[in-house]
Amino acid sequence: MQSYDAIVIGAGHNGLVTAAYLAKADKKVLVVERRPVVGGIVASEEIFSGFKYSSCAHSAGSFSTQVIDDLKLKKHGLELLPFNPLLFAPALDGDSLTITRDMGVTAEQIGRHSKSDAGKFSSFCLRLKALSAFLSTIYRLPLPNKAEPGSFNPAALVKIGWKFHRLGKKEMYEFLRVLPMSAADLVDEWFENDLLKAAVASGGMLGSFVGPRQQGTAFNLLHHQIGESNGALRTAGFVRGGMGNLSQALARAAQQLGVEIRTNAEIIKVITKNRAATGVVLHNGEEVNASSVISNADVKRTFFKLVEPTYLDPHFLLQVRNIRSRGVVAKINLALDGLPKFKNHQTAALGGIIHIGPTLDYLERTADDAKYGRFSTQPFLEITIPSIADPSLAPAGKHVMSVWMQSAPYKLRAGTWESQRDALGDAVMKVIGDYAPGFENSVLHRQVLTPLDLEDSYGLTGGHLYHAEMALDQIFFMRPVPGWSRYHTPIDNLFLCGSGTHPGGGITGLPGYYAAKTVLKSRARGK
Amino acid sequence: MYNYDAIVIGAGHNGLTTAAYLAKAGKKVLVLERRHVLGGAAVTEEIYPGFKYSVCSYVVSLLRPEVIRELELPKYDLEIIPLDSTFTPLPDGDHLLRSGDHAQTRREIARHSTTDAEAYEQYGQLMVQMAMAVKPLLGMIPPDPTTWNPKDLLGLARVGNHFRGLGEKLLYDLTKLMTASSADFLDEWFETDALKATMSASGIIGTFMGPRSPGTAYVLLHHYMGELDGAFRSWGFARGGMGTISRVIADAARHHGAEIKTQAGVDRVLVRNGRAYGVALDSGEEFEAKVIVSGVDPKRTFLKMVGTSHLDADFFKQVSDYKIRGSSAKVNLALDALPNFTSMPGKGPHLAGAISISPSLDYIEQAYDDAKYGNFSRRPYMDIILPSMLDPSMAPPGKHVMSIFVQYAPYHLKSGTWTEQRDAFGDTVVETLSEYAPNLKDIILHRQIVTPWDLEQEFGLTEGNIFQGELTLDQLFFLRPVPGWAKYRTPIKNLYMCGACTHPGGGVMAASGRLAALEILKDTNRTLL
Repeated sequence: MQSYDAIVIGAGHNGLVTAAYLAKADKKVLVVERRPVVGGIVASEEIFSGFKYSSCAHSAGSFSTQVIDDLKLKKHGLELLPFNPLLFAPALDGDSLTITRDMGVTAEQIGRHSKSDAGKFSSFCLRLKALSAFLSTIYRLPLPNKAEPGSFNPAALVKIGWKFHRLGKKEMYEFLRVLPMSAADLVDEWFENDLLKAAVASGGMLGSFVGPRQQGTAFNLLHHQIGESNGALRTAGFVRGGMGNLSQALARAAQQLGVEIRTNAEIIKVITKNRAATGVVLHNGEEVNASSVISNADVKRTFFKLVEPTYLDPHFLLQVRNIRSRGVVAKINLALDGLPKFKNHQTAALGGIIHIGPTLDYLERTADDAKYGRFSTQPFLEITIPSIADPSLAPAGKHVMSVWMQSAPYKLRAGTWESQRDALGDAVMKVIGDYAPGFENSVLHRQVLTPLDLEDSYGLTGGHLYHAEMALDQIFFMRPVPGWSRYHTPIDNLFLCGSGTHPGGGITGLPGYYAAKTVLKSRARGK
Repeated sequence: MYNYDAIVIGAGHNGLTTAAYLAKAGKKVLVLERRHVLGGAAVTEEIYPGFKYSVCSYVVSLLRPEVIRELELPKYDLEIIPLDSTFTPLPDGDHLLRSGDHAQTRREIARHSTTDAEAYEQYGQLMVQMAMAVKPLLGMIPPDPTTWNPKDLLGLARVGNHFRGLGEKLLYDLTKLMTASSADFLDEWFETDALKATMSASGIIGTFMGPRSPGTAYVLLHHYMGELDGAFRSWGFARGGMGTISRVIADAARHHGAEIKTQAGVDRVLVRNGRAYGVALDSGEEFEAKVIVSGVDPKRTFLKMVGTSHLDADFFKQVSDYKIRGSSAKVNLALDALPNFTSMPGKGPHLAGAISISPSLDYIEQAYDDAKYGNFSRRPYMDIILPSMLDPSMAPPGKHVMSIFVQYAPYHLKSGTWTEQRDAFGDTVVETLSEYAPNLKDIILHRQIVTPWDLEQEFGLTEGNIFQGELTLDQLFFLRPVPGWAKYRTPIKNLYMCGACTHPGGGVMAASGRLAALEILKDTNRTLL
């Protein structure tokens, strides 16, 4: 029987990060992946010949620069391409708003809609940048952890307290105030123009079950701005060669460090003896031993499918069951015969995020749909056309379009996703066509991934791309469940490293990174 | 040199409380009230002859025991009659009836779901524990988390220590309660929709949120912290109506020498060199005092009475950004007879408690959705009591008053004004309630509709928000009403705040009034004024 220092269940981007860091510390690591390719939702697929779709995720701008440097991902082929412009938000009447990397040009653009908003935009970006920078600082704060009682370090608290005070009185209060706010209230305090407010606030509802008028969405906005961002909007995100190249670069880095990766191999059980994990059982019956087992699968899947419940406290299982992971996102990938012609023909504006969501009310209504178990027929769409920055993704003159759609709730009250998939796809086509006449005629191929498809294909419980909702009661020391927020689990030697752990989703690589550190520390302690 | 030691603007229950405490400490106090009656939104008025309406607020639970004790309120005939039950009629003719009788409530819930009956016990115990955990915060001056000032650090340490002492499990439960939506929180405990809806309703009262909005579970607790006769969670009705509460506090204040003038509306706070020194009435008359205390919300206080010329740009922005969107309305009815509910026909103890129109979570959520987009709820949530069932003095014999608290009624309407929509709104309320009590329309003798506009115009509540500012996480504790000014003081020297816009927030508590008075006394004793 084979034996490793660590087995990672699932080669999602976090699992690969964990594996690489463990290998870097000279551990013998095996990664087992159910699918034929690595990467989980950070993947590219050529479903339609000649066109490379980024299957799920379509932006890597939040990926940790520390991980990129530590694992030398650039050497292994990772190249992040900037959004240019940052965002294009069309309105139905043909007007639009374009936000670019250049604050001067942007001020002019916004000024066409509101002089006062134009004057405030750059201060707004600076303010948000400072707040999200502080947020990423507190992400590093060691969190309470039942497996290591007393490990919640008061010294770390003092350090954070000091950094907090360094923000200055005004910023300190801003941070405390903004963190629980709604994104809509936040933008309402700064701006008057609807198109601008909606374009910024939508960043707070990505993957969220609630709309921008609900508390907690300002936190989401800040969370998504960590990384390549001007504060309010992400500035980069395309990966040359398709999103899958990020996962490929991670896999190459890991393999070069000695990690063994097996695809088309599924783990069906974690072997536990005396409340400790000792290895795994594969689908072919093969047993593999390991001193540590780290799961990149979502927390519910881990504990309800892979682990024997005998050793688990019923209260813990109840908490896991109560984790809210209601998927609200559908992904639509399209092969296009040419660029869409938005009213007033602004093809130069399509190299970043194309934002369909003209008002705060419009965005809020899409979230209402989720509440009542129906998909939005007037959805919020975050669209990119990565082939503009990277022509290798499609044949000459043609394009791939990646559409992130909300809301498409995992649980429908009427009908099934099988029967509604096409209706959803049609609704999305129609809405894009409302802004870009003739769009539907340019579509050569369409792939629609409903939350059910996301669950089936990628193993995401509830079809949730972040494994668990990023709500105020499911972050920090409450994520994935209160008391177990540092990658440990009630089973010794079994760890978690997916987006369902702190600091959450958004393709940062941080859960994987912090999980690896935790595994190494606990190994060093002799556990 | 000054006429008075302190002038209090507004004779709402908090303003009266501040006046009483200051007078008790030997200060010469004048309270100035715009209306012809005292009490602000805690008021009883005989709008229709023979029928006494608690025009705005209608139940009390959170009235601070230390205020009752320290001002000796029972001496002035304060009597609170407990509201023993909540009756939720359902559209299909069934109902849910919970009461102070635990056994009865358990059986009733078990009728709908046996697992819910089990859970209800545990849930109640947890909420009591959490209410006890949070209670000390209600009586505390919020420490400033942004300063190295030892007193504040000590305050923060005390808060931190208090929470650590709760133990891990309770701490996590409390965190969840503070951040989750009432629907999500209750979904983890119960399955019966009507039960969850009725319980979550207390989480949305006075807010611009729905049961699925994060941050509403917290308000569940706020309304659970009542201390009537030592029993948490009991709500009560003041004999004589809510005005009794204001009257007894006013009596206590007068007993200690405070002077109270009605029909004396304050137009301006007089400020010189950054210092408040008096007020000017609508009539032009002026009064001077060493200390001015505003019982009115911050927008009205600063943007109207103080005037923007005395405010620095940052503070002005903060006050302008303060969220105070009203979402509530009242409909008060004089009835010729008792309403007859299809779900429980005839007269019965269910009419002597609260009646909740909250048949499902979707129902309340849809009521909220209407408001989000600028309309009053087509099928509103209602919290109803018949005060005359508990206190016959409220109406002539055999007749009744009905107090209907309604949500949602957004202050900002997408089309039309509240004056134009008032009757349509009243009709919607009556129509909806008639679905549950079909005889209603036949027995209405008089109807008073108090819209958010009326709450603003008549009762001085900006945008009709009943808590003088929304109870959202970004406007609580050391952030209330605005960051840096959470200790009842303001950027204007000698000008203080004592209303629900200060910690601990809204509800008829008198907590703000008391804490403000204590802070004022600290300052005045320090400067030996």
